[in-house]
Amino acid sequence: MRYRSLERLTIIFAWLTGLLLLSAVSLLLGYLFIKGYQSVNLTLIFGDASPLRAILLQERVFNGLFPAIVGTLILVLLSVFWAIPIGMATGIYLAEYASPRAKRVLDAFFDVLSGIPSIVIGLFGFAFAVFLHKHYSDRIGPCLLISSIALSFLVLPYIIRTTQASLEGIPRETRLTALALGATKFQNIFLVLIPRSLTGIMSGIILAIGRCAEDTAVIMLTGAVASTGLPRSLFAQYEALPFYIYYISSQYADRAELMQGYGASIILILLCAVLFSVAYGIRKGLTHFALYRP
Amino acid sequence: MTPDIKIRVADLNFSYRDRTILQDVSVEFPEKTITALTGSSGAGKSTFLMTLNRLWENIPNAQMQGTVEIKLQNQFRDIYAPDLAVTELRKMVATVFQVPNPLPMSIRKNVAFPLKLSGERSRGLVDEKIEQALKMANLWDEVKDRLNEDARNLSGGQQQRLCIARALVLEPEVLLLDEPTSSLDQASTAVIEDLLLKLKDRLTILIVSHHPEQVKRIADKVVEFTDGRIITAP
Ligand SMILES: Nc1ncnc2c1ncn2[C@@H]1O[C@H](COP(=O)(O)OP(=O)(O)O)[C@@H](O)[C@H]1O
Ligand SMILES: [Mg+2]
Repeated sequence: MRYRSLERLTIIFAWLTGLLLLSAVSLLLGYLFIKGYQSVNLTLIFGDASPLRAILLQERVFNGLFPAIVGTLILVLLSVFWAIPIGMATGIYLAEYASPRAKRVLDAFFDVLSGIPSIVIGLFGFAFAVFLHKHYSDRIGPCLLISSIALSFLVLPYIIRTTQASLEGIPRETRLTALALGATKFQNIFLVLIPRSLTGIMSGIILAIGRCAEDTAVIMLTGAVASTGLPRSLFAQYEALPFYIYYISSQYADRAELMQGYGASIILILLCAVLFSVAYGIRKGLTHFALYRP
Repeated sequence: MTPDIKIRVADLNFSYRDRTILQDVSVEFPEKTITALTGSSGAGKSTFLMTLNRLWENIPNAQMQGTVEIKLQNQFRDIYAPDLAVTELRKMVATVFQVPNPLPMSIRKNVAFPLKLSGERSRGLVDEKIEQALKMANLWDEVKDRLNEDARNLSGGQQQRLCIARALVLEPEVLLLDEPTSSLDQASTAVIEDLLLKLKDRLTILIVSHHPEQVKRIADKVVEFTDGRIITAP
């Protein structure tokens, strides 16, 4: 009897917490949407320029979010481009090759890395840029490349951990299947274990994408600026959505400008949604490729 | 007449950490016969099979002493000698596990998988060998029109025959089966038993089995495990 009512209570509690979470998220999104939807339009993105000509890079956008959107997109892609191979390789090493001792040491090391506040990583990136500026070339300073490298350090632990955890979670029978058929360790890892882990690894990559798209602390120290137009190269400064949101909400002159901040937030969330869908699509494609390639 | 010996195990000891699982096991298995390994659960039968294809080496904290010799390509070879690559050994000593374990791929790719591992590229040859192996495993007629479907959509019995086909595709000389029918219904079990009887003309089969009925139906020889030692019955 007592257990039955306890079970009831647990279920009710679980429902309530779920409901709380759901309402918090919908409150947040709803608030943003209601505040910002009026300012989301082509003028917010392209200002006075013609959208088509702006996308074709024939016309510069001076008073729109277009450069910030492009900047964030390039930044995210570059950062995960650095972080994925290194993070996956490290995760594979930890799960499959590392001796118990090496594993203990590296585990502690990556725990520390994932605990470093992003502002500290940003500061380090800034110091690195200054160092390069002093010792190598006047033309190097805080820039897109340095930001993306610093961000990839920030998200590396996500990819390492999810890769490692999904590999280690594979049951022993599955692990032995290909080995019993004469696979080398290397073949087993790349033909069976990694394809089996793609779903888990992808969740780490999605976390990483979100983190790269939203982080402000790192980029404001390593190259993001309020207004510079489209990034001209990897060694140039750039605009980014989160930095724009931060900047406008701390410096806005009138209500209209604040509304633009809300609009930018909506666009940032939409951008993340697009990136997530692309990541899911790639995962599906890869799994399908592994399955049905003749 | 006495058939030729295929596998010779001498003074085998096996332990996980400090726990002895097999103790002073010496036993021989004749060629082109079915030998049933019986004994209560936990007696070390699966462990014993893993000493014949060195699969235990992938399990942490396992240790083995003793010798295992198998006649491969008409010549007795110490399977733990450094001149025999473990991947080569496992291509000649194939294994089928208790729970059917098709890889998450199409039926065709599952059977082709060992060929891919050994670097076989020619599409024509691969297709030919797939067909041959599936026919040998009595599965061809059921799957020939759906080779590109996910193997996990097959029934349990079909999956297990697929695993047997996959084990046969490299034309091994020894086939180890660890309770291959324990997760299957009676009809599927009968199909697999017939299949094994058919296969014994070609290769040497060791099968772990819990069912006295099954042992009586298919085995030429029985080896019983108790407390990590063995009692051989005729
Ligand atoms: N990976 C392992 N680590 C430690 N002990 C194990 C491991 N695998 C099996 N054992 C133990 O070894 C004994 C023999 O197991 P097994 O060979 O699977 O027996 P059987 O197949 O005859 O049921 C069991 O007592 C089991 O608990
Ligand atoms: Mg067993």
